Amino acid sequence: MKRGTLFLIAAVILAALPALDSPFVQSMALTCLMYAGLAVSWSMFSGPTGYLSLATSAFFGLGAYCTAWGLSYLPWPVVVMAGGLAATLFAFIIGLVVLNLRGAYFAVITYGLGELVKHTITHVEKTYAGTVGRVMNDTPSSDVVYWTVLVIALLAVYTYVRFGRSRYGHALRGIGMDEERAATLGVNPMRVKLLGFCLSAWFAGALGAAMAVRWTYIDPHTVFNPFIVFQTVLISMVGGPLTIGGPLVGALVFSLLSEFLRLSLPFLYMILLGVLLIVSVLYLPNGLAGHDWRGLWQRISRRKQPPEQAAEQRHE
Amino acid sequence: MNLYLFIDLVVAGLVTGGIYAVVALGLNLQYGLMRIMNIAHGEFLMLGAYLTYTLVRYTGASPLWFIPPMMVALFLLGLLLHRLIFRRLAATSPDADAMESRSLIVGFGLMFIAQNVAQLIWGGGMSGQPYLDEAVKFGEVTVAANRLLVLAVAAAASLGLVLLLKKTLLGMAVRGMLQAPLGAMLVGIDTRRLHPACFGLGLALAGLAGGLLSMVYELTPSMGEPYTISALIVITLGGLGNIPGAIAGALLLGLVETFGTYYTSPSLKILISYSVLVLVLLLRPKGLFAK
Repeated sequence: MKRGTLFLIAAVILAALPALDSPFVQSMALTCLMYAGLAVSWSMFSGPTGYLSLATSAFFGLGAYCTAWGLSYLPWPVVVMAGGLAATLFAFIIGLVVLNLRGAYFAVITYGLGELVKHTITHVEKTYAGTVGRVMNDTPSSDVVYWTVLVIALLAVYTYVRFGRSRYGHALRGIGMDEERAATLGVNPMRVKLLGFCLSAWFAGALGAAMAVRWTYIDPHTVFNPFIVFQTVLISMVGGPLTIGGPLVGALVFSLLSEFLRLSLPFLYMILLGVLLIVSVLYLPNGLAGHDWRGLWQRISRRKQPPEQAAEQRHE
Repeated sequence: MNLYLFIDLVVAGLVTGGIYAVVALGLNLQYGLMRIMNIAHGEFLMLGAYLTYTLVRYTGASPLWFIPPMMVALFLLGLLLHRLIFRRLAATSPDADAMESRSLIVGFGLMFIAQNVAQLIWGGGMSGQPYLDEAVKFGEVTVAANRLLVLAVAAAASLGLVLLLKKTLLGMAVRGMLQAPLGAMLVGIDTRRLHPACFGLGLALAGLAGGLLSMVYELTPSMGEPYTISALIVITLGGLGNIPGAIAGALLLGLVETFGTYYTSPSLKILISYSVLVLVLLLRPKGLFAK
């Protein structure tokens, strides 16, 4: 119950943020909420299953293009919902085939499909619309965009927790541990994986749809930027995708970091991201939140005793 | 169809395919032996290209002189990376699937680092140093001399690697590790020494491809990415750890791309590559030549 109250208090504070009337704080909070939502939705599926999905950029970009195409004709909430649904539909169609692949093949094909969608949209726009990018008119005010992203991010956190506790969440974790065993115990792996994949896609698509109006001009290279998925994976991996706190803390840290470093030292920032990615894979396989800090503390305080031969080498 | 045009396209396709073969052989060794899904493989090609380019700029000598020392440098870089990263990664990964996914993320990290270091050193614009770009005539067919040179060196390198694997004791050990990792260890093959060496060899081969490309094309810090994708397609086409299959797959992909872009439009090249990748992964995930 304590966590529930914390969640509510945070939601109220964040919702009241536009009252500060500080565009800088609000814009940073917006970036932070966007990455929090993306990282939480990514962790929803990829955390428990261990399937490394790199399709987030594709979901995000599809959502953004739904806004670009539909904003002039449809009311704002419908546009955002439709963006999410487009991503879900895409996830469903590709999920039927790609969820049979495992390991690096799954990661590579989700990345490849994302790039395929990006280049297809570029080509279609060039051939039929005559331009590559799109300018957006009658965009909603920045407060409305902020609240929309906030609602989606909060919804993502709520869904992450509820989904994780449901029987589908348990089934998804079972699949991550041992897919064959889960299947023997009566889980239909394809159905459960597909559900998780589509659910996670909806949030990424809706966030893309909501964020698209921030740029006023979008083209495939901005909204299908692979950087979006890399940053999302990095946030989740460094934070720890198996806990809800991990992606949230990661999103906060990396949004601040990118806000201050990305504009002044863009190349150094990317190099730093690369180093952090490697270090977190090597030394924090479960992320900051999932790391055994108590064990580390005990090891440090017991330093005077002879070190144990802990490092077993199982796979070389 | 005009016969000369056909020959032109075949030569262009074989040159592209030859480069793909050299790049893919390195990745195939890394992935087949160690399950390292090195998505940064193309970045080492880019480093090789820029190193060759820089040395040529400062000395004015032929790039061919600098390719061997540059390959040695990349080999040593490979040993270092294996020692620092991949050894620990292999030791802490519970199974092959985990090793693949984790090495993929490490590869993305290496990609960020390599591309942005190149941006800082060489800048983001294009730089090129064409070498031997006069035309050679064979009757009615004209081919640029540097492309023929690229094709010859790429063919020699691929053939050399195949012979090394087929004929020498070292090659037999590597093939043993490819076919049965555990069995290879049981009969006394020292994987602790051969794994880093093969990883380094992969980087050196990528560097060779980069050095060859620097004679023909303009360089950019992100030039390696399409080659990584092509290498992934090639090893999927050829089958995991299958060296002759990879060479056949590389030539096939080079020809498909050349003819495909000629008959549609050059802007579709990357679309064609990704479509081939997705189709191969879906239809023949075990490779075209799998029994």
